[in-house]
Amino acid sequence: MVNFTIDQLREIMDRKYNIRNMSVIAHVDHGKSTLTDSLVAAAGIIAMANAGDQRLTDTRQDEQDRCITIKSTGISLFFNFPDDLPLPKEADGRNFLINLIDSPGHVDFSSEVTAALRVTDGALVVVDSVEGVCVQTETVLRQALAERIKPVMTINKLDRSFLELQLEPEDMYQNFSRIIETANVIMSTYQDEELGDVQVYPDAGTVAFSAGLHGWAFTLNRFARMYSKKFGVEPEKMTSRLWGDSFFNRKEKKWTKREGKGGVRAFCEFVIKPIKKIIELCMADKVEDLTKLLTSLNIKLTTEDKELRQKPLMKRVLQKWLPADQALLEMMVLYLPAPAEAQKYRAELLYEGPPDDACCTAIRNCDANGPLMLYISKMVPSSDKGRFIAYGRVFSGTVRAGMKVRIMGPNYVPGTKKDLAVKSVQRTLLMMGRRTDAVDSVPCGNTVGLVGLDQVIIKSGTISDVESAFPLKDMKYSVSPVVRVAVEPKNPSDLPKLVEGLKRLAKSDPLVQTITEESGEHVIAGAGELHLEICLKDLKDDFMNGAEIRVSNPVVTFRETIEGVENPENTAICLSKSPNKHNRLYIYATPLPDNLPEAIEDGKVTPRDEAKARMKMLRDEYGVPEDAAKKIWCFGPDTTGANLLVDRAKAVQYLNDIKDSCVAAFQWATKEGVLCDENMRGILFNIHDCSLHADTIHRGGGQIIPTCRRALFGAQLLAGPKLVEPFFLVEIQCPETIVGSIYGVLTRKRGHVFEEVQRPGTPMFNVKAYLPVQESFGFTADLRSATGGQAFPQCVFDHWSTMAGDPLDPAETVGTLVKAIRERKGLKPVVPDIGNFYDRL
Amino acid sequence: MSPSPLNEDPSKRASSEFTAPSSSGVLHLIGLGLGDERDVTLRGMDLIRSAGVVYLEAYTSILGVSAPALEKAYGRSVCIADREFVEERAQEILTNAQSQPGGAAFLVIGDPFGATTHTDLWLRARERGLKVNVVHNASIINAIAVTGLQLYLFGQAISLCFWTDTDRPTSYYPKLLQNRRNGLHTLCLLDIKVKEPSLESLARGKKLYEPPRYMTVNQAIDQLLEIDSILEADELVEDTMAVGVARIGQPNQLIVYASLGTLRQTDFGPPLHSLVIPARELHFHEEEVLSWFKPKSHDTTKPQIS
Repeated sequence: MVNFTIDQLREIMDRKYNIRNMSVIAHVDHGKSTLTDSLVAAAGIIAMANAGDQRLTDTRQDEQDRCITIKSTGISLFFNFPDDLPLPKEADGRNFLINLIDSPGHVDFSSEVTAALRVTDGALVVVDSVEGVCVQTETVLRQALAERIKPVMTINKLDRSFLELQLEPEDMYQNFSRIIETANVIMSTYQDEELGDVQVYPDAGTVAFSAGLHGWAFTLNRFARMYSKKFGVEPEKMTSRLWGDSFFNRKEKKWTKREGKGGVRAFCEFVIKPIKKIIELCMADKVEDLTKLLTSLNIKLTTEDKELRQKPLMKRVLQKWLPADQALLEMMVLYLPAPAEAQKYRAELLYEGPPDDACCTAIRNCDANGPLMLYISKMVPSSDKGRFIAYGRVFSGTVRAGMKVRIMGPNYVPGTKKDLAVKSVQRTLLMMGRRTDAVDSVPCGNTVGLVGLDQVIIKSGTISDVESAFPLKDMKYSVSPVVRVAVEPKNPSDLPKLVEGLKRLAKSDPLVQTITEESGEHVIAGAGELHLEICLKDLKDDFMNGAEIRVSNPVVTFRETIEGVENPENTAICLSKSPNKHNRLYIYATPLPDNLPEAIEDGKVTPRDEAKARMKMLRDEYGVPEDAAKKIWCFGPDTTGANLLVDRAKAVQYLNDIKDSCVAAFQWATKEGVLCDENMRGILFNIHDCSLHADTIHRGGGQIIPTCRRALFGAQLLAGPKLVEPFFLVEIQCPETIVGSIYGVLTRKRGHVFEEVQRPGTPMFNVKAYLPVQESFGFTADLRSATGGQAFPQCVFDHWSTMAGDPLDPAETVGTLVKAIRERKGLKPVVPDIGNFYDRL
Repeated sequence: MSPSPLNEDPSKRASSEFTAPSSSGVLHLIGLGLGDERDVTLRGMDLIRSAGVVYLEAYTSILGVSAPALEKAYGRSVCIADREFVEERAQEILTNAQSQPGGAAFLVIGDPFGATTHTDLWLRARERGLKVNVVHNASIINAIAVTGLQLYLFGQAISLCFWTDTDRPTSYYPKLLQNRRNGLHTLCLLDIKVKEPSLESLARGKKLYEPPRYMTVNQAIDQLLEIDSILEADELVEDTMAVGVARIGQPNQLIVYASLGTLRQTDFGPPLHSLVIPARELHFHEEEVLSWFKPKSHDTTKPQIS
């Protein structure tokens, strides 16, 4: 533990090449928080009363109880780079500040990971040496690369390989190299050109091996340095000899590239064996032999240490020999980029405006004297009840307490006042775990907490001090809030508390949505059962001061779409007349081509694309007719959704005048579809024709908006409406014997298995299946009881799938479902008839 | 504006439309003129008194007096029909016209077929087999001649609508340019929003109303000059002479002939306002009349009530 004054700390923050902002990411239960702990214990900057406790970054009681991380937590580490090692090029002195964010591994909280990644430049990917690369490992890696975050990896829980599985050294090597290979395959799949090659290799120093629980870790560099003296070889050369097909023949004292007779793989011989030896000696309590061995390694045990036996002894010895903090921090400093480097290639990705304006240039240069550009990635509840601290990263300029700033929300449109606020920053804070310290300013490249802005920032936003600044891109989450519950206070007089509580809940969590339905029903939408459970608990205990609430059964978010009909421009045109009957709109709907909705949701096709390039892509890759791809009026709902409104009318006068009204109608129509007020998805609305009144007032918003809305609804009804339900991807790891029971549970719940593989070298099976979210409630519990607690599923939203049947027919399952949704929302039980939307000529 | 429905088919037009039928099955479209309750014609007054039910269309214009004053003057209770009522519940009016003895009287400020187009109501009534009886009156379309500009020399009339942050139509401007090129005057009707639902609420399919708004001459000039610079038309400038009018036909009507720059600063008082952009060349008679409306040089902001 390093004791630092705030002033000393603030001084390092100005050296933009001596900072590393990084997040720790991994699959759930691969040991992130435990590993982080061992780092904090050794190098944490701010002394905390309970520094020795386990899971420091798990600041909440429920996190400690469940042994999972729920909220990402930042912590700062100080690292004095060893004198005998070459410094990274541009570093200014040997003192390094490492801002580390421990993020949750459970899929339900992956939005927290997204928020953490945004403010960091590098990531430490933790992989369990036994379980290997899991579904969430892949998700977080993909997220990281999409944000241009450079990864390094550590293979964790090595102690399990040694003690539990007692693997042979060669098996261990094979296992590790398989894990690294799998991870590299993922990384090369999602590789980003600007970021360059991000694959990790032990002999390049970008892979570490660690045992977080026991507090030891190493990279090959560490061993190479040790052996280089002995063999008289350069450390770099030694490092490359310690990995891959490099063998050493002890008798002949010769290195070979092939596994000849008497040759042993160098990694096994020089890395695994010594560790194994020490572990064996410790576990067998052979203290004398151990002392002898340790003396040769230049490690001294105190008398106190010698009293220890078995595991504690092993832990102490290995900690002394291979301290985890040294190995990992060294890897971070050497192989993760400083803000000044990372922002060079992240600037364009982050900034919405032109890449050559003052703001973007300042971000690229990480210029502390440039215009302020600061991204708020999350709102952290402060100790002051009901207030929030805006937590984010300064990308350029310097933020000072008392400064007047412009706050651009996610819906801000440059040049307008929409979603824009101007406020003063009351205080600037350094955020360290659960502690905050006020400083008077924070320069670019660092993370910061701002007080006084919680009234104007909902979840995220961009802060700047220049008027011409465009906002930084808003974060894209890999999960969707597809599971929802309705809440009401047990005591009706608590309603105001609930309303206020919901507002605060929406702030505190990046993903959760709180909605008030038409019927007055209050709805909370989250990523999964666990996410909702945590949200509800927060709502009740923290945001409503413990007032009791009643929670409905969980329900699912659906989408509305169409299957399309033959020849729609002749058979499925909806004609709607404006209230004054002077305007007529003709609209028909066709389904968007396959894969296009996904491409829009993933941000591959966006409303901000350059129109010509987008037209070419839509035409050539997705087969959208050219005249439709050319004149896209808008995306929706929320201007980004996977529905399009296109103008395919020919030679219509004044058409541009009604564009704005049509866009407004389209946004809401696609947000609340005709079937059951759910979002539409995958519908292409074509404006076929219109005839408009010659005078502006007679075709104003009041006339066109309701007409366009009716025409859109009518077009949806005429084109074969369908309901779409969300599916989870379920990944289950279990022993072979219970695979059968898993199939049973899945089949009962309309799920289907599409992959079943044995994990090489283990008796464990990996089962992957698709499961309708509707059926997922209680799935975990069912599975647990059916398998005697041996199978744990990880569910993550995967895709949307159209439900069979006619949603308009109440006799069918899907029709009943639509009716139930409508009733729940306080709508008339029957979907309105086409007569409500279609006007006769 | 659609072609006058009255020309549709002369053979079907019963001559009785021009008398005052007291039987049911008639829709009377009665113009109230521009001033107050006493501007109604005698024939109109008779019909109002004899009609089974009386509606007052109250969203395309406003009269100088309140509805209770009308009721008192006509001795009838008057049902206020707002936009929603006329556009979406027109059937109710027509049903009453059919069933009530004396038919239904539909009162329109100005003329029934003047600036406001109630042709849709006319069509629907005819489709139902109702007789339609029209009583004309003064409308801004003809009363604007009070400015001295000759009605024969007016080109297409245009309406200026309130701009929003995103919706800023300019399409009416080319018509104005056309008029100017052809040596015609342009009457600009200014937007009026009474009981208008907010646009967002319309898009969501339910109605929340905004407070009433009336465009002023000042706002209209701001908009025109802005469009001129957007379209780089270079037609209207601060020095261009124009006529701003307010409350035409009412006792406190106001007419000011001045440059756009001066009119922009002039307070025209309560609604309704209109604006005329005269032709580039004026007839000497027009000039002479207009010169009476020039503001006194010492106080440009408070012109005389004419």
